[in-house]
Amino acid sequence: MFLKILLAGDGGQGIQTIADIVSKASFQKNWEISYIPNYGLEQRGGVSLAFVQISDTKINYPKFSKADILVILSEQARGRVENYMQPETKVFDYKDFADILADNKIGEKSLNIFALGWLVKILKGQNILETDIVNLLLEEKLGLKDIWDDNKWAYKVGLQ
Amino acid sequence: MQDVKKLATGHEAVVEACFDAGAKMMYGYPITPTTEVFTGWIKKGGEYLQTEDEIAAGFAVCGGVIAGQKAFTATAGPGHVLMQDALSMAEGMRLPFVAIIGQRGGPSSGTVIYSQQEVTLACFGGNGEGLRLVYSPSTIEELYFLTRVAFNSAWKYQYPTIVLTDGYLLKSRGVFVADKTIENAESYPLVKEGEKKHWRNIYTFEEELNEAVVRNKKDFDSIKKEVARSENYQTDDAEILLVAHGIVGGAAKDAINELRKKGQKIGLFRPITLRPFDNEAFDKIAMRVKKVVIVESSLGQLAQIVRAEMAPEIATPIEYIQYPALGIEAEKIVDYFL
Repeated sequence: MFLKILLAGDGGQGIQTIADIVSKASFQKNWEISYIPNYGLEQRGGVSLAFVQISDTKINYPKFSKADILVILSEQARGRVENYMQPETKVFDYKDFADILADNKIGEKSLNIFALGWLVKILKGQNILETDIVNLLLEEKLGLKDIWDDNKWAYKVGLQ
Repeated sequence: MQDVKKLATGHEAVVEACFDAGAKMMYGYPITPTTEVFTGWIKKGGEYLQTEDEIAAGFAVCGGVIAGQKAFTATAGPGHVLMQDALSMAEGMRLPFVAIIGQRGGPSSGTVIYSQQEVTLACFGGNGEGLRLVYSPSTIEELYFLTRVAFNSAWKYQYPTIVLTDGYLLKSRGVFVADKTIENAESYPLVKEGEKKHWRNIYTFEEELNEAVVRNKKDFDSIKKEVARSENYQTDDAEILLVAHGIVGGAAKDAINELRKKGQKIGLFRPITLRPFDNEAFDKIAMRVKKVVIVESSLGQLAQIVRAEMAPEIATPIEYIQYPALGIEAEKIVDYFL
């Protein structure tokens, strides 16, 4: 098993937050993990990427050029990551979820957590991680923030 | 004793290694991608001094180690350039100067995370003869291990000792198990309290300096067998030999695994020490393969070392895969051979 996940958004959208949770939750299931953030000098405003790899063997290099799963959270980010797509790549493009986001009143600030739900559903399906570990990590990281209820809701909708 | 398996960044592994090595003091000036080595050291309670620049940090390390303090520094790019003055002094005076260098793109401020363009600077920077020990780790686990080794080598052999890494390895998070079995070399004052010692880094006569340089080079050659390290990967039946160091060595392994599935007989020689270079191990393989391909994120800084170190009677052709200032994923190496 070797899975390459690329998460892409604008700085400040919480790309690194979800990469952190996914890598920790997978590590707890004893997988080999590699996670490297990639952002420009301006941490806000520029494109923020996270390269996450999950494997049952040692990971030799932190980056890759084609992704198995690609998460896109902004227009600016899409331009930077199109080259990582291949025909079999599973893509989360926020644009494709516009109706679900609107119907469920999920705002811009919780978009990353909605995407996390989508990603966790796939990874859970492949027996890579457990949702209860993700729940704990999520609460540990965001439980004290004032939009915690919104995030919890976004995560739940994403999981469905 | 092996430590528990943990998820850690390269920075965290370096800081842990410095504490485990018995380091007592860090002198530094923050610069990406080594800033977190400094902040991580401070957060864990390490004693430190933030100097006004890297020149001062380097000379502070020189002073600290002369007094017997297990001191070190960490820097990158333009900071690494500034530190060459102190590193030259450490080379001339044979000081156990330990530096963690996080290569970033160059020239000048370049980019802030990654390249392999500080190889020449680490190995041969300054106005000396490149009498330095330079380690190039490929994984987070090796980054921990070689940082431990670097302190021991510095204090045992007394040459400036550099762990040459990059921001990809420092900033990435991976699974690693620290080797806690390594015993530490002791530090001690190079000039004892009350001792009067005429110890120079400037000489009156050319002959005096010549003698000192020749002596230091002779010592350097004599420790080579003990210090030089390298890894061979899939080289037994190899017809093509890749040469790559640091994390590019990791990408090369992935590429070899792919290319072997397609029937190519290809292997890797990975220098773990760039200075001294393990030329005996390299020559043995280089002389029997059909070609050598040197892969690096620079325009030939590793190639320069390999060409200089390869025995002159070996006529194996050499090719180059060079992506200056750019990461090299396995796919880029695979594409070269298809």
